[in-house]
Amino acid sequence: MKTELEITAYQCKACGRVHYPYHDRCLTCKNREFEVIKPEGDAHLLAYTQIFNLPWGFDVRFLVHGVVEFSNGVKAMGQIHVESLEDIKTGMTLQPGWEPIRIVSGEAIYGLVLKP
Amino acid sequence: MRDVAIIGVGMIPFGRRDEDTLLDMLAYASLNALDDAGMGDKGVDAVYVANMGAGILQHQTSVASALVDRLSLLPAAADAVENGPASGASAIKNGLLAVASGYYDTVLVAGGEKMREVVGWKATDFVATMTHPEVEYPYGITLPGMAGMFTRLYMEKYGLTRDQLIAVAIKNQKMGTLNPYAHVKMIITREGIVESPDAAVNNPVAADPLHFYDMCPVSDGAAAVILCPLEKAQEFTQNVPVVIAGFGQATDTHTLQERDDPTNLKAVTLASEQAFNMAGLKPKDVDVAELHDAFTILEIAESEHAGFFKKGEGGIAAENGETSLKGKIPINVSGGLKARGHPVGATGVAQVVEIVFQLRHQLDEARQVKDAQVGFTLNFGGFGNNVVAFVLRRSE
Repeated sequence: MKTELEITAYQCKACGRVHYPYHDRCLTCKNREFEVIKPEGDAHLLAYTQIFNLPWGFDVRFLVHGVVEFSNGVKAMGQIHVESLEDIKTGMTLQPGWEPIRIVSGEAIYGLVLKP
Repeated sequence: MRDVAIIGVGMIPFGRRDEDTLLDMLAYASLNALDDAGMGDKGVDAVYVANMGAGILQHQTSVASALVDRLSLLPAAADAVENGPASGASAIKNGLLAVASGYYDTVLVAGGEKMREVVGWKATDFVATMTHPEVEYPYGITLPGMAGMFTRLYMEKYGLTRDQLIAVAIKNQKMGTLNPYAHVKMIITREGIVESPDAAVNNPVAADPLHFYDMCPVSDGAAAVILCPLEKAQEFTQNVPVVIAGFGQATDTHTLQERDDPTNLKAVTLASEQAFNMAGLKPKDVDVAELHDAFTILEIAESEHAGFFKKGEGGIAAENGETSLKGKIPINVSGGLKARGHPVGATGVAQVVEIVFQLRHQLDEARQVKDAQVGFTLNFGGFGNNVVAFVLRRSE
């Protein structure tokens, strides 16, 4: 099991905007120089859904997805591991982890997993 | 720049068309459009084919080259246009610019998609390839999932209700029963999808808080239009020409998470404003609109962002019947994507074909907007990251 969040975000050196994923130019000021940053602090839930019609590669009945914002401004999508949507609500703090999110050709693909 | 007219339109019924290949469907719709334009035995200068997924779903590429060969339109210039679910309107935009510039006089634009020959999870996966390949797609997020997150945010910010979404679903499926080209011809009721003991089975949650009947179907289908300079329209046909009075196109961030306000569909607003400004018209001048209701929430949100209603009032308007055939601004009286279906490459072209039918006043009374003079279409790519709008005007 991996513990470190393998998320690399990019903060514009000119205006401070945080980008994730990578852009060649800042979405706000078009500057091309960025400082590499990692997500820090609490992960606050901004939006979420539960889907039942799944694409290829998932052998589960449903998936719960959410977008969280870390304390340093990094925003990222992840899978939320809960039994029911009643366990989560917008604005709550979730615990981030780096765990398998799907299996491709027998190999686990890791990504952001969030838990209450 | 020359004024550009739509002088011919063609479409085939959307649905599950097991008997037809993608090329069959594109050819049938194109021939219908050529015949409608009075060009049945003539050539065209250029062909634009809108298609999103033949390379994935049919293992076929270069569909524009294949279509000109199939239709004996050689040596016409031919290009395929792929812009996700907005491919259709993008292809028309390219045809419009080519004719308006004076470079080509006659252009065929055809859009088509064959999605039902693959199993559901493969179709879902195909559509999900529009999401970001590194920070969204690996998680299994789908376009319905994006719409679910967007809907919850809209509910929290604007007080949107499930009843308002249901009003859109009931309206559009009712209108679909009147449209011979519609995929879904089934009236639904509140009792059947909300109130009855069977509603949880009939209409389960699909992408919370959206339910099954908030979604458009996965469809096969094709549609086509013929463009030429307005000044030459009468050389081909006595059809009332419909002028493309304005167009607009705008983009937004690939991921929803990077939008300052994810409920703000900036590209819809910008594309619509561009189209209205070019036409010298305003939303209040529109008699009939076709919006991209792949999910019921989108009809409501787009009706606000395009300028027909203030933010937060589109759902109320839908529930009050203001978007019905005899309402203040009839929206998706074709049944929309919700009932006509959504063969992704065809949709933007089908929206324009529908508005041409309306502006020619050639529909049955049950679906015709009386004396319609100005129409509007909005084709929504990705989750609002590439949007194309047209303002169309009847030319006497």
